[in-house]
Amino acid sequence: MTEFKYLIQDPIGIHARPAGLLAKLAKSFEGTTVYLTKGGNTVKASQLMKLMGLGVKAGDEVTIGCEGGDEAAAAAALEQFFKENL
Amino acid sequence: MALDYRKCAEEIVANIGGAGNVVSAAHCATRLRLVIADNAKVNKAVLENIDGVKGMFESNGQLQLIIGTGTVNKVYDEFLAVTGLTAASKADVKAAAAAKDPLWRRILKVPGDVFVPILPAIVASGLMMGLVEAIPKFWPAFGQSDWFSFLDLVANTAFALLPVLVAISSARVFGGNIFLGAVIGLMMVHPALINAWTVGNYAAGEIPTWHLFFFNVQQVGYQGHVIPVILAVLLMSTVEKWLHKKVPEMIDLFVTPLCTVLITAFITFTIIGPIFSLLENWVLAGAKWLASSLPGAVVMGAIYPWTVVMGLHHMYNVIEAGMIAQTGLNTWMPIASAANFAQFGACLAVALKVRNQKTKSVALPASLSASLGITEPAIFGINFRFMKPFLCGMAGGAVGSLFGALFGLGAPVYGVTGIPAIPAVNNVPLYLVELLISAGVAALLTWFIWKEDAPAAAAAPAEAAKAEVKAPEAKIEVPTNTVISCSAGEIKAPVAGKVIPYTEIPDQTFAAGVLGEGVGIWPEAEVVVAPYDGEISSVAESKHAIGITGAEDMELLIHIGVDTVAMNGDGFEVLVAEGDQVKAGQPLVKFSKEKIKAAGHPDVVVTLLTNSDDYENVTIHQ
Repeated sequence: MTEFKYLIQDPIGIHARPAGLLAKLAKSFEGTTVYLTKGGNTVKASQLMKLMGLGVKAGDEVTIGCEGGDEAAAAAALEQFFKENL
Repeated sequence: MALDYRKCAEEIVANIGGAGNVVSAAHCATRLRLVIADNAKVNKAVLENIDGVKGMFESNGQLQLIIGTGTVNKVYDEFLAVTGLTAASKADVKAAAAAKDPLWRRILKVPGDVFVPILPAIVASGLMMGLVEAIPKFWPAFGQSDWFSFLDLVANTAFALLPVLVAISSARVFGGNIFLGAVIGLMMVHPALINAWTVGNYAAGEIPTWHLFFFNVQQVGYQGHVIPVILAVLLMSTVEKWLHKKVPEMIDLFVTPLCTVLITAFITFTIIGPIFSLLENWVLAGAKWLASSLPGAVVMGAIYPWTVVMGLHHMYNVIEAGMIAQTGLNTWMPIASAANFAQFGACLAVALKVRNQKTKSVALPASLSASLGITEPAIFGINFRFMKPFLCGMAGGAVGSLFGALFGLGAPVYGVTGIPAIPAVNNVPLYLVELLISAGVAALLTWFIWKEDAPAAAAAPAEAAKAEVKAPEAKIEVPTNTVISCSAGEIKAPVAGKVIPYTEIPDQTFAAGVLGEGVGIWPEAEVVVAPYDGEISSVAESKHAIGITGAEDMELLIHIGVDTVAMNGDGFEVLVAEGDQVKAGQPLVKFSKEKIKAAGHPDVVVTLLTNSDDYENVTIHQ
């Protein structure tokens, strides 16, 4: 499991648009499962509904974990995504 | 800060459907009693949280708002000013509510209705009697002084001539002329009659008797009696009203009162009096039996607060007065004290435990009042509302009564319980122990059993919200058109309106299909319903979006409006919670098109199958 933490900057947080993009990205890694944790709740980042249900907002710190496959590459791509979009 | 009576009244009026929805209004010692035309217009959740309103419940067809002693009358005055209603006597309110009330209950409530208005007189006299009669116990010389004689006279006036007060109050309750009522009451304790308290000093043959037709009427007064007085005045009021209708107006002024008094007096002394003195003695015997046996006292101590809820407890003055008349010792008082003090204990435990400031601010003064014997604020404002403290109070009352009965506690007075009764009881230390036991048991049980129901406060508005949509719920037209179909099934429109493909939704993200394929619907209604049977998988914190999982794990996102996340929930009302199982057509979210427009957003209801990639033949139907 490769993990990194990220402090959300986007005022709206992980809502529809970024959530959709994130879920799409999370699904794109062959053999890698992406998890997102906020305040003790962990969901699969590929599950859009669960992702939105977390209600991640600006100022929240989330932990992103990648498991299986090319974890390092997935984590790097995700980190890039977070910096650009959230 | 002092309560703004005007503001309080205005808020009440605003939340009971306006002045037009009020049939009548009255108040008692602590409560504003309203008869409402259409109860559906009453916004209970808001009412309860109005500053000044300590609680609310419905009883006997009335909406009763607990406001508090000394405050309720001021709020009531403002309420009348705000609504333009004229002051309704409690009888009017009762009459208006009567249609909704079963007969037996109306009968049971009469003694309470009669006693409530004269409570100040009884409480003042009761307290004074307790004090005046307690002093000679510590200072015998005082018993011989002029001051004692004078104060005793002042104190016992209300009791010695109680039928007069009862008659006047009854006349008001039954709608008779209160001065004629006073005449009936005065007649029943006329000095020419042998005083009921001293009739025992006469041998049976010595009591003077009238021979009227075939009735032999003993010339004995009705001191200490209550029910015969109430019945006499009920008869009087009925006769009076009947005569008013039948007698020609010209002679009405002298014929009606004359005949009313004459007929009432005759029937009272010959029939009502003798029969009901007898019945009253039986009732008292029953109560005395309950109060004198250990199991009876325990039962009475437990069920006592229920009789307070039903407004029957004022009738116990009759029982207490009867006990004093017969044995000189009121053994009912320890039972009532145990029951009342247990409610005090339960209420105090709530006051100490509760975090909600509003509840705390009610519970503290309410418990103080209960310790002085006035339990309505504690029972109606706190214990009965949360129910568990009330039940714990019943347990405390039962245990305390058991103790009181075991040690033969009693008092030579009535009308007081709790702390004010201390000077009057026959054994102060034991009485204190009884109070401590009653309150202690109730408080400890409450402390451990009752938990502050955090969601209770939140649940109330949620329930209100549900109730609110209940009415429109019936009118909601559940759309029947399919908007999306795929290998997993068909998805109906969640809201009626013009359907557009997702590519035409005025938002780049949605239109690009990033969140899946689907449609946009320009809504013609303001309620989103479930498009299929399923489970609510997510509810956005800002209430504008909801996810619902259906057959074959179809994940549908219903997103109301574009960029409406910025509205932070304003204009949206979610009717379900995450994890709820819902049925197709069930309302999920209520929203305001007007507010969305006002916030500058398109109100298109975005309906997307977020995992459309997982299915085949995803087709959009317009």
